[in-house]
Amino acid sequence: MKNRLLLSALLSFLITFIVAPVASFAQDIVVGASVALTGKYARTGQEQLQGFQMWVDDVNARGGLLGRKVALKYYDDESKPETGAKLYEKLITDDKVDLLIGPYSSDVTMAASTVAEKYNFPMVSSGASATQIWERGYKNIFGLYTLAENYMVQILDFAKSKGLKKIALIYENTEFPRAIASGVKSKAKQLGMNVVFEEEYGKASTDFSSMIIKMKTKKPDMVIGGSYLPDSVAFMRQAKENRLYAKIFAFAVGPALPDFGKNLGLDADGVMGNTMFESTLKRPGVKEFAEKYKAKYGHEPGYHAAGGYGAGQVLEDAVKKAGSLDRDKLRAALFSLDTTTTFGRFKVDATGRQIGKRGYAVQWINGNRELILPADVATAKPVYPFKDWNKR
Amino acid sequence: MELLEPDILLQLLIGGLLAGALYALLACGLNLIFGVMRVINLTHAELMLIGAFGSYVLYTAFGIHPLISLFLIVPVMFVAGYYFQLVLVERVVERPMLDSLLATYGVSIILVNIGLLIFTADFKSVPVLQGSFAIDDIPISEPRAVAGLISVALTVGVYLFLERTRLGKAVRAVSEHAQVASICGIDVRRIRMLTFGLASAMAAAAGVMLSVIYSFWPGSGIDFIQKCFAIIIIGGMGNFVGALYGGILLGVVESFVGAFVSTQWGEAMAYVLLVAVLLIRPTGLKGVARA
Repeated sequence: MKNRLLLSALLSFLITFIVAPVASFAQDIVVGASVALTGKYARTGQEQLQGFQMWVDDVNARGGLLGRKVALKYYDDESKPETGAKLYEKLITDDKVDLLIGPYSSDVTMAASTVAEKYNFPMVSSGASATQIWERGYKNIFGLYTLAENYMVQILDFAKSKGLKKIALIYENTEFPRAIASGVKSKAKQLGMNVVFEEEYGKASTDFSSMIIKMKTKKPDMVIGGSYLPDSVAFMRQAKENRLYAKIFAFAVGPALPDFGKNLGLDADGVMGNTMFESTLKRPGVKEFAEKYKAKYGHEPGYHAAGGYGAGQVLEDAVKKAGSLDRDKLRAALFSLDTTTTFGRFKVDATGRQIGKRGYAVQWINGNRELILPADVATAKPVYPFKDWNKR
Repeated sequence: MELLEPDILLQLLIGGLLAGALYALLACGLNLIFGVMRVINLTHAELMLIGAFGSYVLYTAFGIHPLISLFLIVPVMFVAGYYFQLVLVERVVERPMLDSLLATYGVSIILVNIGLLIFTADFKSVPVLQGSFAIDDIPISEPRAVAGLISVALTVGVYLFLERTRLGKAVRAVSEHAQVASICGIDVRRIRMLTFGLASAMAAAAGVMLSVIYSFWPGSGIDFIQKCFAIIIIGGMGNFVGALYGGILLGVVESFVGAFVSTQWGEAMAYVLLVAVLLIRPTGLKGVARA
């Protein structure tokens, strides 16, 4: 443990001072954030950061904010809540940033938002969706993502329409996956479906073989994972190795990212997942954003990138509305703001929780990620049931 | 309870043995280094990842199957390890342990960050050998079976080398008492270089195997090295066979606890076993007390 701490300390030192050059100029409006550049959420954190950076470039091209240029100051939080909290403390007290954007993941946001609340500093969270974050009576944390509890609602409705009854539910032991799981359980109850298998797993889990063998004995109709990218990929690989059959496989984070297909190849086919954004959505600005992002970073933007960009846009709109960087005015502006960014609609309730944003379901079909639910924006019809491993 | 059916028990056992064999391959190398030169090699997991990324690069750039890259990567890593010992580790052997810890730790950090610069923090994997074959309706994971068998073959090969050859005997002699070995005319320095080369090759082989089983990124090392430390303490510090037993024991225990209790408990087993061994038999399963 000590070893690990020492390693993280040294790593963060290296990353902060060598890998991530920090830009900060006097007179600029400085936006501070901690980003997951290493650790479990690195992949998604990196995209989110690129979203922030693109927004900074774009807003400066538009003439900046309140007539001043915008600069981004960020540090690597290593996907760890305790590091995230420390970094926001530093951003607020030491770097004296003017605006705050939240970190990636619900567990890091949970810790970081406590620091923001302590300094009464409004924070636009671009990467968190666990309801708990907004159940603590805080006045300074504003969400962008659809609530985690609602992630699986569309897929569960779809499963119900196919007459499925038995759900196997697995999830990581942190805030966001747990929130997904509690949403799944209450929705399943409402639909009259049964959770026949339920298990939590650790944040560093990569081996699910034993879990899958146990799950098989319960013969679930569908498998739902409250997961991130590495665990959802590992799970599907091992599901194939252990010949786990189910009619639907759905994972929270993972299938919505291009890496899911890259890592699994054709085995990704049929897997469903949740997303907040797809570049195929027909909304103003989406296509331009996706093209520009691809030209700049060489890959299409996942929803984490769009979320990062959207968080910047929300800040931009709020600052314009408030007409100043005054924290109280900014907070009031964020509470009353109702705007649509590239990412989607932004409207929060009295706790700062997102209520305007819509979620979507995707599925891998013939090597492509297609939007399948809701039907009005779908790019393909859902493929059902999940094809048996031995028939592929 | 459905879990107690023989089919399932057998499946868990096979899964555990296969995972254990891979642990053993990694841990045996670590223990070999410790046995011969009393150095705890903190770069061991990164040597493994070099193997994994080597396999990934050869596969994505040239379409070379990991089983073939194994024959390219293992010799290269043997030579690399041999000279790494010469250039760096040799300087800190026989010095206070903190020196070697810091030196290997420093290299580990450098390697991880070079890895991040080259490969970014994305998870990579080599999508070959996916799926499973069945024996009597018991599915056996293809990549794990292959990795398990190769791991066993390599570990046994190194064991036979240590037991049956003159050079292997020299390695064991240095491990038992470097000074006496040197008086007997063994070139201790060269044995240490050989040992580090061997251990690096074993770690890299484990990495190639890992690349077909799991997704990995430059920071994946930590999850493995921690388990390896537990394994060598369970098996007995410095004892090659001990690490083999320890690795296989851990694999099997993880597999069963993962099914009968939960995956979370399965992952804690390395440390539960560690504490149990320290309480009951502090020298480890195969270890002997040293003065």
